[in-house]
Amino acid sequence: MQPQLIRELEALLGPKAVLSAPEDLMLYEYDGSVELGSPRCIVFPTSARDVSGIVHLANRYETPIVGRGAGTGLSGGAIARNGGIVIAFSRMNRILEIDAANLRAVVQPGVVNLDLSRAVEHLGLYFAPDPSSQKSCTIGGNVSENSGGPHTLAYGVTANHVTGLELVLPDGEIVRIGGKSVETSGYDLCGLLVGSEGTLALVTEITVRLMRKPEAVKTLLAVYDTLDDTTESVVEITVRAITPAACEMLDGFTLRAVEDYVHAGFPKDCAAVLLIEVEGLAEAVQAQAAEITEVCRQHRAREVRAARNDQERNLLWRGRKEAFGAMGRISPMYYVQDGVIPRTRLPETLRRIEEISRKYDLQIGNIFHAGDGNLHPLILFDERNRAQFARVVAAGGEIMRHCVEVGGALTGEHGIGMEKNELMPLIFTPDDLALMERIRAAFNPNGRLNPGKVLPMGKACGEIRVTPTPASVTIPT
Amino acid sequence: MSRPAQVSFTRLEEIAGGAHVVTDAAEIAAREVCGVRPAAIVKPADPAQIAEILRFAAAEKLAVIPMGSGTKLGIGAPPTRYDIALDLSRMNRVLAYDPQDLTLGVEAGVRIKDLLRTLEEQRQFLPLTVPFSDRATIGGIVAANSSSPLRHAYGSVRDFCLGMEFVTGEGAQAKSGGRVVKNVTGYDLHKLLIGSLGTLAVITRVNFRTFPMPPAQGMFVASFSSAESAFEFCRAISHSVLTPQMVEVADPGAGRLIFSAETTARITPMQWSVVISAAGQPAVVDRYERELGHLAGAANAAEFLPISDSEQSSVFVRIREFPRLVLEGAPDAAIFRIGVLPTAMPSLLKDLSEVAKRCRLQLATLTRASGIMYAALFAQAGNESPFAATASAVKEIFHLCTLPENGAQAMLEWCPTEINTSADVAWGPPRPDFELMQRVKHSFDPQNVLAPGRFAGGI
Repeated sequence: MQPQLIRELEALLGPKAVLSAPEDLMLYEYDGSVELGSPRCIVFPTSARDVSGIVHLANRYETPIVGRGAGTGLSGGAIARNGGIVIAFSRMNRILEIDAANLRAVVQPGVVNLDLSRAVEHLGLYFAPDPSSQKSCTIGGNVSENSGGPHTLAYGVTANHVTGLELVLPDGEIVRIGGKSVETSGYDLCGLLVGSEGTLALVTEITVRLMRKPEAVKTLLAVYDTLDDTTESVVEITVRAITPAACEMLDGFTLRAVEDYVHAGFPKDCAAVLLIEVEGLAEAVQAQAAEITEVCRQHRAREVRAARNDQERNLLWRGRKEAFGAMGRISPMYYVQDGVIPRTRLPETLRRIEEISRKYDLQIGNIFHAGDGNLHPLILFDERNRAQFARVVAAGGEIMRHCVEVGGALTGEHGIGMEKNELMPLIFTPDDLALMERIRAAFNPNGRLNPGKVLPMGKACGEIRVTPTPASVTIPT
Repeated sequence: MSRPAQVSFTRLEEIAGGAHVVTDAAEIAAREVCGVRPAAIVKPADPAQIAEILRFAAAEKLAVIPMGSGTKLGIGAPPTRYDIALDLSRMNRVLAYDPQDLTLGVEAGVRIKDLLRTLEEQRQFLPLTVPFSDRATIGGIVAANSSSPLRHAYGSVRDFCLGMEFVTGEGAQAKSGGRVVKNVTGYDLHKLLIGSLGTLAVITRVNFRTFPMPPAQGMFVASFSSAESAFEFCRAISHSVLTPQMVEVADPGAGRLIFSAETTARITPMQWSVVISAAGQPAVVDRYERELGHLAGAANAAEFLPISDSEQSSVFVRIREFPRLVLEGAPDAAIFRIGVLPTAMPSLLKDLSEVAKRCRLQLATLTRASGIMYAALFAQAGNESPFAATASAVKEIFHLCTLPENGAQAMLEWCPTEINTSADVAWGPPRPDFELMQRVKHSFDPQNVLAPGRFAGGI
């Protein structure tokens, strides 16, 4: 990279806001996925105007730009695939306004998800999207990826909670879209921008909805001796139209790893557990919990118990939210997937994953948002074992294809990023992708913003692989 | 208004079949948009025919306006060109309904009334209880982003629409989203189509999540002597643990339209009223009644009453049909739908009533407490130039809403043809994101085939 660009960035932001030494850059080569990419420098803006200035410089030097929050993303969205400047939003971390009367907050993109909920807790409010990484992930990152979390079953994903954005466009212009109001006339640009994975614009300010905490919460743990009974319970809960706030499943393999680490109270000899939460008025919670318990018992749950207090409840949730971390204790590496299926197809899908696990001789753990059919198979591997690694890629592809075959989607909340962009033709036709390409070009005409993400790369060369080979999932060696 | 050559009709007949290209004068008149009439109506059978029609239109430089039952053609500016009315009434099938998964996929021409009946058989529903529900189609409801009183609990279309299939202005069949309840695969292009009034693409299929019918419901009305106390009550509800299905504030004028003689005999009709519905287990509904009664008392309600079971559905229908009831009594009314924050509602109401008074118009407002206000303006007896008065009131209200203290977003849900002369009248002053909207339009419809001139800023 031109040293002149570094000097200009330093002049713009101050020397402490630019990192370019190789040892500093290493920390920004990866995110929560298995992807890697090397930026040439990291910059730390403190305002939209800074961001606009950076974008102007990047354009002058024809350098790619990638936005980054906490780097917890699971599809390589924040990775500098083609090098260039990484704009780290960690210093834009102020909560600008809390408007409790209208249930809104205005935040900078670097605000940590959980910090917002903590800041409004005394008002009886919270920010609903709750990804497992909520202690560290940023709201800017949530907006980019349209993040979910366990409680999105009842309250929706990030897109349902964002009403306005301030953007810096790839030409450096600062624009506001949406606002605090629930409804705007005109095209729903916020709806497009949330989940666009940083490929259309850089987000510098976010207006979000806040929600009021429910009066009562009940967390149930249902313990099963077979996977089929567990998944059939989830289907029955959906069919009966009981709407819990969250309905999570951990299979036996996963919960044993978690239990050794977190001691959440999961019985280690079972096949699977469901972690189900109901919220609302005390009367409603009572009725729903009773009905869920009945369904689980009918499906041969050997035990259904309710957390007796907040401490027990928090422990159960820690077991769920720290499960990925627990996996790190038993495997050098894991590859987590994010496919979605219609909820009625859960039993057959889990059986299919078991078959795939046997076929490729791989350990696959399952821990996921069962209530909305959002799977997270974790394929464990050792990256030093090249032969095993090839099997991981093949198994992952097969699970993904199954999700598509039963009418599902490639990703429920982790995003496409650079991990699944070559798989997009499994879902979308060349016409679908051409229109998405055109929308990207309408915002990001020279492709300088987060290149190589979301859409297949082949498309740029006028070619789409209709049936991509699993080898197109790139995993570092 | 350009008129396609004879050869054009032949081509349209080849695509859709002779019986489905209509030039009958009465039918044409029924598809007039803001005073402009098309040369022909085409009723396609499927997305492939729509794609061909749009490619043909692009080649011949013809303009096409997609429509369902035409109940919302009063929204938006007059088209700058309009040759073909694309009538989707033949595309009225439910394509996929999986009640066990609570998901649904329907063609755009399905009428909401028919769809709700299908869902009811499974004790499910869609929270799309919108004006003109006897005829409104899914495509029209989505393209106009019609508002439902149930938005309080369920949000609007963008919150429960899972994906769409559509045909772009270039005649490309495309889709986004999917059929599963959680999905971030690719750009959510379908969200752009919600509220786009057919200016970007022709919606052919919409996928939704469906909702279970609650086991029990209750409806209550509280009446107040002032707007301030009515909104104080709404604020108290919003600060409580209660999560009602609907909270609607009717001013005296709206109250007269909404309540039947039976209800008005029990409440004082000249007052402000707040109508709330609650759903859940019977014990939950009972608790709403108790606590809402307390909150109403604390906000100095004159009365708080449950609405009888027999009357609930008629009150609900009248709230749902508010814009239509206004138009039945005052066909020349202008009706705004304004997105406004709860704290700004009382002052905006005051401003609106001053504008109405100045222009010698009557005002009736129905406000969804979660942030939508319907404001209808219509002529007072003795106002000799009602259109001039309405035109100036419309202009003033758009201006009012842009003031920072109001922070409101206004759109005209109905504008009398007599004053609807341009996009500036129908959409108010230009918006900061206009240039981005233009880029979006150009991506979907580069040759400006679809509803040209109808949208904000003349898009």
